[in-house]
Amino acid sequence: MELGDFLKGATEIGKAMGVTLKHLRQKPVTVEFPYEEIPIYPRFRGRHELRRYANGLERCIGCSLCEAACPTEAIYVEAAENDAEAPLSPGERYAKVYEVNLLRCVFCGDCEEACPTEAIVLGHDFAMANYERKDFVLTKEQLLNPGMPKVIIRPE
Amino acid sequence: MAENVTLTINEQEVSVPARTLLVDAARMAGIEIPVFCSHPKLDPVGCCRMCLVEVDGPRGTAMMASCTMPVGDGMVVRTDTEQVQTVQEANLAFILLNHPLDCPICDKGGECPLQDQTMRFGPGISQLIEPKRLAKKHYDISDTIVLDQERCVLCWRCIRYLEEWEDKPQLGLFERGNDTIVDIQDGRPVDAKTGGNIIDLCPVGALTNRVSRFAYRPWEIERTPSVCMHCSMGCNLRLDTRTHQLRRIVGRENMQVNDQWICDKGRFAHGWVNDEKRLTAPLLRKNGELTPVQWSEALAFVADRLKSIREQRGPDSIGAIGSGKVSNEANYALQRFMRAVIGSNNIDHRDGGEVAAIATGVPALAELMKPQYGPDPKVDTVLLFGIDPSEELPVLDLHLKRALLRGGGKLIIAHPRKIELTKYDGPYLVCLPGEEAALISRLSRAVQDGGAADDSGPVAEAAGLLAASDSALIIYGPMAARGEGGPAVRAGLAGLAQAAGQGARLAYAGLDGNAQGCRDMGVLPDRLPGHASLDDNNLRERIETLWSCSLSSSAGYTYKQMLDSQEMRALVVMGADPADESPDWAAGLEDLDLLVVCDLFLTETAQKADVVLPAAGWAEGDGTFTNLERRVQRAPKAVTDPKSRAAPDWMILTHLAKQMDAAWPFADARSVTSEIAEIVPGYAGLTWEALGDQGIQWDAESVAVATAAPTDQVGEEEVAAGTDADGEYPLTLVSGTVLYDGGTLFRLTEQMQGMAHGATVSLNPADAVDIGVEAGAPVRVQSDVGSLELTVAVDEQVQPGSAWIPESLAGAPVGALLNGGYRQRVRLERR
Repeated sequence: MELGDFLKGATEIGKAMGVTLKHLRQKPVTVEFPYEEIPIYPRFRGRHELRRYANGLERCIGCSLCEAACPTEAIYVEAAENDAEAPLSPGERYAKVYEVNLLRCVFCGDCEEACPTEAIVLGHDFAMANYERKDFVLTKEQLLNPGMPKVIIRPE
Repeated sequence: MAENVTLTINEQEVSVPARTLLVDAARMAGIEIPVFCSHPKLDPVGCCRMCLVEVDGPRGTAMMASCTMPVGDGMVVRTDTEQVQTVQEANLAFILLNHPLDCPICDKGGECPLQDQTMRFGPGISQLIEPKRLAKKHYDISDTIVLDQERCVLCWRCIRYLEEWEDKPQLGLFERGNDTIVDIQDGRPVDAKTGGNIIDLCPVGALTNRVSRFAYRPWEIERTPSVCMHCSMGCNLRLDTRTHQLRRIVGRENMQVNDQWICDKGRFAHGWVNDEKRLTAPLLRKNGELTPVQWSEALAFVADRLKSIREQRGPDSIGAIGSGKVSNEANYALQRFMRAVIGSNNIDHRDGGEVAAIATGVPALAELMKPQYGPDPKVDTVLLFGIDPSEELPVLDLHLKRALLRGGGKLIIAHPRKIELTKYDGPYLVCLPGEEAALISRLSRAVQDGGAADDSGPVAEAAGLLAASDSALIIYGPMAARGEGGPAVRAGLAGLAQAAGQGARLAYAGLDGNAQGCRDMGVLPDRLPGHASLDDNNLRERIETLWSCSLSSSAGYTYKQMLDSQEMRALVVMGADPADESPDWAAGLEDLDLLVVCDLFLTETAQKADVVLPAAGWAEGDGTFTNLERRVQRAPKAVTDPKSRAAPDWMILTHLAKQMDAAWPFADARSVTSEIAEIVPGYAGLTWEALGDQGIQWDAESVAVATAAPTDQVGEEEVAAGTDADGEYPLTLVSGTVLYDGGTLFRLTEQMQGMAHGATVSLNPADAVDIGVEAGAPVRVQSDVGSLELTVAVDEQVQPGSAWIPESLAGAPVGALLNGGYRQRVRLERR
């Protein structure tokens, strides 16, 4: 019995050491994040972005449907009438105020789904730490000019 | 009236009055039939074909438009068959052929009948691949209404409203077939005073609100039922708010007051509520400058000064001015403050003690109304005496027009101007300021002679109508009964009503939103709350016990006396602006030892004040308002400005009373209402719950009718005083209210500024030729107390020998010519 137990234990230790030794030979999976890039899946949902048309006009028309779809009331939209001479968006209406509160947002993507013009999309930027609470409210200005523009891949 | 008819809808037996339309019968039975053109308050037209249902007839089953089809006995109707569904789907597909589907940017999106019905009854898929019709979008058909012709589904509701209710066919259909569009006539904008109602009626987003455009989405606003405070009609409104801002106002149905219509001022002129110029902190004059201070400092200062003035000069050197623009609670608190804390009856409001009013206002508005489906109005003849509903009470104007056109009513008008309602062929009696009493006595005599008087023309015609009527109503306004001649006018009109027979009644219509409530609360120098006279011992004792004070028994100064008198040392002004009315008063206010102004804005008067207290306005405070038919209605709090330190008037006065050692039991507006219910007999038992959202009319029987004895012998001699046509001042000055004036509550709505009445003096064409001025000529209008620079307008409405200058025009206060008086003669000089 005693010999049998000893041999069994030694085998187990050998197995465990084997795993350890195997990994010793491999490259580490840890990424030195701020200094190294992380692969992101195309449909990853990160920081929001407001898109523009190729001619520079804002896609957002201030319809507030994203606000209505948002389960956490993270979005605030205030619409206004476009100046016919210098419109900001196609049509009569544009978003005068567009704010996303990142502290409330759960990154569910319902706003993307609701948007009739594909204006709001969730981008790939996930590093959103900040020092002040007020800095977590993204203004329209910040949303229109994201640091990391997103390539759109929509579900069919 | 009509007997009942029984029919079967979807195998369900329904019994409804004869001549009911099928669509309404189905609604009564709880069966929904989709409609676009049909509306319960407009005549049926049957143009959208959405309401087709199957009706069994002698020649088999047929598809019938249920909105034009009256019910018949034994009719068998089906609304849920496959055939009906197919037709509904096809119809919606047809309507949507040219509808742009720009719902995300359409203000109607979210509360749109077309959206709702497409989801409920539509085909679910679109077969259209062709391009849609293009037409005018964001097309302003007035300063306040935007038309989008692409969205229009040609239901005719707007056209029918303007024709059937406003009697101003300002919209029409143009072109034919696929190109049919709604448009204004010959480029003339829609200027009907209640034109905004077509926005509420539109079943799609074709007509939208310019003032509220893109400022709200229906799913994110809070809706508060409220009442309008622009005039004394007390129309029911709904306030739509979001993020502490009033975003939109729409009409709310009250079949006793406004049906479901409201006027454009009530709908659009709400810019002042969230204006940046609103007072947000108490101001105290330090070194000649009004400086923001804490409430405690401002109130302590006021209390201190009032106490010392009362000690040194006696309580009667202090006065208070209330206002028909603020709630019952505010007015009640103000008069309690004056009577109990200060100990004086020096309390009044504009159009208060100076006007010979009738305590009970107007009998009931419902007696003047002709709803779409309902009996003719009870009142068959209306005499408007010195009141112009088109400018002063626009929804009453709507009711009257409807009563004339559809209810068989008759209208007699006595007014200094040939007002808009005179277009309805009723007799028009010219009645310049000062001629009221003479006109009444001529009219009374003619009525007594049975309409066959020596007078010919309009007076005889009017007398004939009055004598022939079973139920006449004489409505007079403050313009006709101001000043010393007022009681004689009231007595004369009472005599006229008596002469006109059993059913004739006399009514008084105040003009400010809470004019009636202000009187009910006792904001009068010679009346306690509830119109009780100062020597009504019963009420006095009750009040003295409740307030634990002793009331002064001598009548106080009226509004005018307070402002004219040199004895006044301190004034508390709440919601009024006397400095704007007279240069003398403005100068007098500067000389006061203490002027406290409680208002929303830094008015002319507030600029002269020692202390300015910021008040919470109508939308921010909770309170009750009483309209001209004595209907007490609640206007709950709808918005809160978190940055503002403004407080409701009753709260300011409660704290002020506390500083002056009087403990009032008011914790909230509701507790003030319950004290009012305890003291004012008409308001007995009134609670906010009982008021609900339709209000309660207080019982006219509760007031001992103390109006002057009717007389038909009113001063002929006054005529002489009114018509001293000396050469120096050849014209009689006519003033009065216009709807779109230059007042703060109107002017601050930017989009409406173009609609405001210009700074003009209007003359009869003949007078303009005589004087040698033409429209647009710059003139100086001179009276013996002042002068005013205006431009000339020529208007047929203005009677020969008179000059019409409305009150509170921006930058042109007619007060400069009147100087606190009511009658004045003027001359024009070209400048």
